[in-house]
Amino acid sequence: MKNAAVASLLVIFAIPLLIAVAELPPFGDPDAPIHTHISARYIEQGVEEAGAENLVTGVLLNYRGFDTFGEVTVIFTALAAALAVLLTSGGVQYFQEDRPPAPPKGADESERPPTPVSPVVLFVVRLLAPFIGIFAAFVILHGHVTPGGGFQGGAILGAMFIVLTIVLGAGKVRPRLPEPLARWLQGAAPLSFVLIGALGVAFTGFYLGFPPEHSLHLVRELMMVVLEIGIGVGGAAIFARIFLAMEAD
Amino acid sequence: MLEALWHNIDYVASVVLFCIGLYILIAKNNLIKKFLGLNIMETAVFAFIVTIGVIEGGDAPIMGHGAQAPFHSPIPHALVLTGIVVAVSTTALALSLIIRIYRQCGTIEADELREME
Amino acid sequence: MIEWPHWMAIVVLAPLSGAVLTPIVSLRDRRIAPWFALATMTVTSVAALFLIMRVAQEGPFSYPLGAWTPPYGIELRFDEFSAAISVVCLVGSLAILCSVRYTEWLRELAKPRIPYYYALMLLNLGGMIGFMITGDLFNLFVFLEILSLSGYALVAVSGERTAEMAAFKYLLMGAISSLLVLFSVGIIFGITGSLNMVDVTTRLASVAADATMPAVLALGALTIGFMVKAAIFPVHVWLPDAHAIAPSPISAVLSGLVVKVGIIGMLRVYQIYYGSGILDLTVLNQVLLWLGAISIVMGAFFAIFQDDIKLMLAYSTISNIGYIVMGLGLSTNLSVIGGAVHVFNHALIKATLFLAAGAFIYRTGYRTLTDLRGIGRAMPLTSIALSIGAVSIVGIPPTAGFLCKWYIALGAFEADQPMFGFALIFGALFIFIYYIRMVNAFYFQEPIHKEVLRVEEAPLTMLGPILLLAALCLIMGILGRIPLTFIEPAALRMLAPLGG
Repeated sequence: MKNAAVASLLVIFAIPLLIAVAELPPFGDPDAPIHTHISARYIEQGVEEAGAENLVTGVLLNYRGFDTFGEVTVIFTALAAALAVLLTSGGVQYFQEDRPPAPPKGADESERPPTPVSPVVLFVVRLLAPFIGIFAAFVILHGHVTPGGGFQGGAILGAMFIVLTIVLGAGKVRPRLPEPLARWLQGAAPLSFVLIGALGVAFTGFYLGFPPEHSLHLVRELMMVVLEIGIGVGGAAIFARIFLAMEAD
Repeated sequence: MLEALWHNIDYVASVVLFCIGLYILIAKNNLIKKFLGLNIMETAVFAFIVTIGVIEGGDAPIMGHGAQAPFHSPIPHALVLTGIVVAVSTTALALSLIIRIYRQCGTIEADELREME
Repeated sequence: MIEWPHWMAIVVLAPLSGAVLTPIVSLRDRRIAPWFALATMTVTSVAALFLIMRVAQEGPFSYPLGAWTPPYGIELRFDEFSAAISVVCLVGSLAILCSVRYTEWLRELAKPRIPYYYALMLLNLGGMIGFMITGDLFNLFVFLEILSLSGYALVAVSGERTAEMAAFKYLLMGAISSLLVLFSVGIIFGITGSLNMVDVTTRLASVAADATMPAVLALGALTIGFMVKAAIFPVHVWLPDAHAIAPSPISAVLSGLVVKVGIIGMLRVYQIYYGSGILDLTVLNQVLLWLGAISIVMGAFFAIFQDDIKLMLAYSTISNIGYIVMGLGLSTNLSVIGGAVHVFNHALIKATLFLAAGAFIYRTGYRTLTDLRGIGRAMPLTSIALSIGAVSIVGIPPTAGFLCKWYIALGAFEADQPMFGFALIFGALFIFIYYIRMVNAFYFQEPIHKEVLRVEEAPLTMLGPILLLAALCLIMGILGRIPLTFIEPAALRMLAPLGG
């Protein structure tokens, strides 16, 4: 009964939405303002101006690079948020000198017999992991030419870590990275944006500018690749850390 | 009006998806299901934004070999990529909270939690 | 120095990159974290100061990121409304200073979380600064997400069960509102093909003249989205729990600053709609007026019946946001000026109140008015600061709250809506009652717990910020005309149609 009421309420809620979308420019219309205004310039001059054959990457890193800076900051916020919510005093941080003794909960877990991992899964994951890693590297490094980019590659890389932790780790193998390095990697994406952006001040006079001159197109490409690597590695490090924190809890 | 709706059926699909998500968010009791409803709503909005960038008979905006005009607008893709990342981040935080709530209360059913308060 | 353009980038980048570095620098010793955060906020404040001096001299200016001429890239735009970043820097820094002792004392807050606590705080402040100075609709959404996401986590950071549930409620409502904002940005982009605010304004007038329904929907969805962030009457339900349960320095930031983001967002969006002139905003303004009036009365009414001091302050936030929204809804010059300045003043006042309340909780461990009876004798300075804050929030003349409320009331009579003027005065009366209750409990009633009389005055890192804020409440009351005249050109510009 309650659900029916909610459903009928939503139908009423949908009516203004439907009226509004009916008046939007027709689907696929080449004369819609969205295609004739800013996009038009991006498509005509984007490759020369922004320096990426994949225009989406051009928009992400160059025209709207500041959005992407905000975006990587959002990922970092997710990390800080998840850790601020999940970490406990006996938690996963090993370097703290005033670490209290391990809580009894951990002792229980070690007594529990570890779930055996099927040898098939173990073999397949071990076999595939390097290929997943190579694929991730390709997606990250080739993102400005073909579909892909730092975020996509970072997600693949992060997924690889997660799969490895689930299958090989099974509770015993914890973060292999030393904590200081892990923290630098987690901040890699925003920090690379800050550094490359500051470089842009030298080239164009404004933050996050990429040199537009043709003679400097190698520099421009290098800057983009550094950004992509930063995004990819930083994203992967953060995904893996959030996963570890959730699993440890 | 109806004709315009029919022509914009892709937008209508987003609206329907949005409402389905909202329904799940309101009607379901389990916190994870509630959040899945929110994820469906997010997907609806992303689909909507990508759809407005479509051009009839267009090609992906990647200027490699054999790329042919017209191209879909690249901006919505960039926006949605940002949007997805934001959604992922929100999901990570929400799941962290749900984990904590479950550990402390032993349940993630909204009505049982309300009774506990 | 003032003319140096890059202050604009630094004012956003400093807190955000500082947040990223906080966990790294506090790797060895987590006690470094607050001081590093404070240093970051100092840099930010210097940049903010230069920006505000520049806007006072030459009016609004912009910074094209990546050297792209707007609307092709993202543009940062600094106008008089953006000067609200000054109060973000001030209240943010002071809240960080107060957190130094507070986080160490809070038992439930696990110690490894502390670096991330400060990182989130910086992210929250940086997100707000970015939100206030960006000139791009989608960038607005991105910063909105940074600050909301960190806000949800900060509510839950104390690790209490109730806090986590409050944070989840806040997260669900906040995520829906962000989604509505994103949806509207998509619609606006669909009908204009642009995301730059100035460009959208001109293009809405020309391109979108035949697509008014989507424009109406976008306006409605943006209004609802920002109303959730600002906690206006029907969508305020997340606020009392979240603001009352969060650690007190966080409450000061959330209540003083984060809810104002909704208001600034409305100011930005309505500027677009007023400028393009494609819609008649009378209906919207009526709705805002009514919701504002209901929020004022309801917030103040519920505040009276609260015994928990922080819950009381949280309800009074709803009431005060009601004043600001009513000022927007009246849409006269005076009321918009009053509302915009109240954004600034209320942040000072509410930060004073929450930090003072936090100092009481820190020293005594009690949080209800009944338990805190007699505290005025034990912690005289903090109590005086709290009283000054309370006087300000009622709006008694020599304090900060008076002039802006007076302007909003004048606006109500000017707009020929005297009824709302009376609603405003009525709300102030309610607020006056709970002020009396508070002072009565602190100074005149017999204490229930004898140990309350023996507690010491708050430690210096708390007392300093509280006294500074209380002093500012008085100073802003005396110099109240300065912000009012400062904000006036922005208000005039907002209400005028483009080119008119």
